[in-house]
Amino acid sequence: MEDNCEGCMELFSQDGVLLKQAHSYYIQYFNESGTLYITEYANTKDRFIEWKPNSVTVHSDSHDSEWSFVNAIYRGEQMSPQPPDSKPKYIKLDMNQVRSFKVSKKNDTMTFFDGKGEILCHFFFQHGNCFSLFAALKGLLKTTVSKRDKNIHIIVDETLQLNKSFATLDLFQDSQSASIVWGFVRSFQEKPVETAFGAFAKIGNTIGNNFMPSSSPQPIEEEVITNDVKEYERGVESSDGASPKDYEIIHSSPELPSRLQYPRGNPLSYDQWTALQDSEGRIEDVEYTKLHIFRGGIAPSLRKVVWKYMLDFYPWNSSNADRKTILGKKEQDYYDMKLQWKTLKPWQLQNFVQLRDRLSLVEKDVTRTDRTLPFYAGDNNKNLQAMSDILMTYVMHNFDLGYVQGMSDLLSPILYLLQNEVDAFWCFAGFMERVCTNFDADQAGMKTQLSNLYILLKFSNPTLASYLDNQESGNMFFCFRWLLVLFKREFELHDVFRLWEVVWTNHPCNNFHLLISIAILEKQQSEFIGEEMGFNEILKHVNDLSGKLDVNDILDNAEGLYYQIRESSQLTNEVRQILGLPLIAESSPKDDSTDSIENELMANVDKAYENGLHTSYF
Amino acid sequence: MENMATRTQTAQRPNGSAQGKICQFKLVLLGESAVGKSSLVLRFVKGQFHEYQESTIGAAFLTQTVCLDDTTVKFEIWDTAGQERYHSLAPMYYRGAQAAIVVYDITNQDTFGRAKTWVKELQRQASPNIVIALAGNKQDLANKRMVEFEEAQNYADENTLLFMETSAKTAMNVNDIFLAIAKKLPRNEQASGASASGQGRRLAEGDTGARAAGSCCK
Ligand SMILES: Nc1nc2c(ncn2[C@@H]2O[C@H](COP(=O)(O)OP(=O)(O)O)[C@@H](O)[C@H]2O)c(=O)[nH]1
Ligand SMILES: [Mg+2]
Repeated sequence: MEDNCEGCMELFSQDGVLLKQAHSYYIQYFNESGTLYITEYANTKDRFIEWKPNSVTVHSDSHDSEWSFVNAIYRGEQMSPQPPDSKPKYIKLDMNQVRSFKVSKKNDTMTFFDGKGEILCHFFFQHGNCFSLFAALKGLLKTTVSKRDKNIHIIVDETLQLNKSFATLDLFQDSQSASIVWGFVRSFQEKPVETAFGAFAKIGNTIGNNFMPSSSPQPIEEEVITNDVKEYERGVESSDGASPKDYEIIHSSPELPSRLQYPRGNPLSYDQWTALQDSEGRIEDVEYTKLHIFRGGIAPSLRKVVWKYMLDFYPWNSSNADRKTILGKKEQDYYDMKLQWKTLKPWQLQNFVQLRDRLSLVEKDVTRTDRTLPFYAGDNNKNLQAMSDILMTYVMHNFDLGYVQGMSDLLSPILYLLQNEVDAFWCFAGFMERVCTNFDADQAGMKTQLSNLYILLKFSNPTLASYLDNQESGNMFFCFRWLLVLFKREFELHDVFRLWEVVWTNHPCNNFHLLISIAILEKQQSEFIGEEMGFNEILKHVNDLSGKLDVNDILDNAEGLYYQIRESSQLTNEVRQILGLPLIAESSPKDDSTDSIENELMANVDKAYENGLHTSYF
Repeated sequence: MENMATRTQTAQRPNGSAQGKICQFKLVLLGESAVGKSSLVLRFVKGQFHEYQESTIGAAFLTQTVCLDDTTVKFEIWDTAGQERYHSLAPMYYRGAQAAIVVYDITNQDTFGRAKTWVKELQRQASPNIVIALAGNKQDLANKRMVEFEEAQNYADENTLLFMETSAKTAMNVNDIFLAIAKKLPRNEQASGASASGQGRRLAEGDTGARAAGSCCK
């Protein structure tokens, strides 16, 4: 370290440390062995946790410019707005971002959390255990053991003094120190009760986003908050301090941090897939696998295999033997259901109008689904027959839902890819499980999707949202087709494959397809507004985008948008809910508010574990 | 959505050429799935027919301009998804429409029943002066006919609907049914209605003449 880090002191190092999880930007290094350091910079006294893979050597002069990506994300505009074009050489994590860490029961892994429900880094210690790192951290940081989980150590900020009069709210029992929260608490405690309550609620909001010490370097959002607090205090001084206006300023229009580009990674290859399986063919690290797919998709020749896992045909943890059994059972079930309608006598069908209607709907759509693809072209096409049989059997599988227009669009790419009736049926059924609310009789599912889309748009791009509103297009109906068949009609087939498998990973958040929609709409903004398009023109313009969109560019931007939203200091629970981010208590009564801080921190940790990449290692 | 009716009211503009008036009408296509709604529009607007026309998801919007005597009529056409499951979206599209074409497939009796239901719904819920045309499509398949011409004609007469049998495939009666609608639309009244609402739509200068030349202006 010393030889490539000028003015920086190495406080600790340990080799044989495997990177198990970090931002997906580092995916190429996951499961790679490397050396872990704690470093301190002489001039700023900033401390970092750094990890370098064994495979990479770092040159001394490039050190400072090699801002690691973790930092670039969390620091918003302060750091270089673009991650390095070249591959990242190592991880450098500002200790100020770490809010808690967890030591596994076997003492062989350590996980660092950001306090917002995200895992920053997760390491596995190949040689022995993490005791020495733990000891080093204890020496550098003041920590307290979580009340919920004795393996979790919450970092206590020493830059602010805990105000004793609020000590009944004893979050940090064994410490006189507290986080920035207490700074707020102190500022507000002498204010009129009413104001303090309101303000406290607002602080509650900020904790999740800015649970960070106020020591330098400050993330940009935190400066905003600090300024807001100054505003507030000024207001209090100059007036009676009870006016809601004084602190309402915290809720000004959301300004997102600048957009980072997230270039797509390499597709999951056959070799990588093989390496992900244990000796019996179980996928060991499901979340890692999904993350890889999120970043780079799946190699075309491998899709046939992996889609069966993505679409719940095979469980991820099934062994080779399990899969044989499962396949046998699925084949049997499929053919049983198929026989149920195939063997109906004409007079039975004649007197069974609900079934007859459903089957005729299938017939009408099958004959006009993707017939321009050679795979489905021509008379007496056997693939078309398979499509029809699958959809009719699906009617028996889920009679209440039956067949609804749009379903043949969802099946067509699956059948094309898998080229097997039974496989395609069950994968289609798995896909339908995810999207069946799109086909609700009362359109409730689609309405929810459209309104969620509007909420996200309004948060991330208020200008466009209000333009659409003024053009009676705030209902977002012009996106109906996108959402109903998940962009199937907007891209050529291989791009549809790509987009679908990314969305199925559920990374980096829930409802990622809504962010994809926004990424597409943003690009149309200047045309919408410049040409003063109204409801009709907008719908036509959007329908006509079909075949003109670049899937990789859209995915890059959608991912960038996700981080912008997540890092916004104005993030609302409404938005969090849609994206599946941990919620923040908006207003909590005085007496249990500190509990709610720990609750929240813990909920975030739990969430991080849910999102987390591991269940069992070795 | 509430304002859509007023916003798309007919506009009347002298465009400085010999053509005189320009009228703009909103027309919606309704009818059971796969009867040929999209195909009729495609034939009318682009002169094309696709054997495997894909199903309509959500809705499509197209425009076509025709000339009628000294008037240029611009149709703003909404093509909808026909399946019953998407019925609840239909009012959004027929609200404020001055004309509707309700389509059935002459080879399928059920679709005729469904067409009658659409007519009833329009009579009850659409604009009171809406001009409704009934189209018995796929006339080229008359050898498989399940709905008799007279039956449909009688029904149309009882309900004062325009009626034609059409074929998107052979183009039979396609332009004719749109023209018949254009003739029946009260151009002057509509125009004054629009100015009353103060919401006449802007028409680009080049927009009218060029497209009109395509289909009906000889
Ligand atoms: N023979 C024949 N087929 C037609 C005609 N119009 C439409 N079709 C076919 O009927 C199917 C459904 O047509 P489409 O326009 O999509 O119906 P929509 O669902 O009502 O919009 C397609 O396969 C068309 O090719 C017609 O006039 N004659
Ligand atoms: Mg259609």
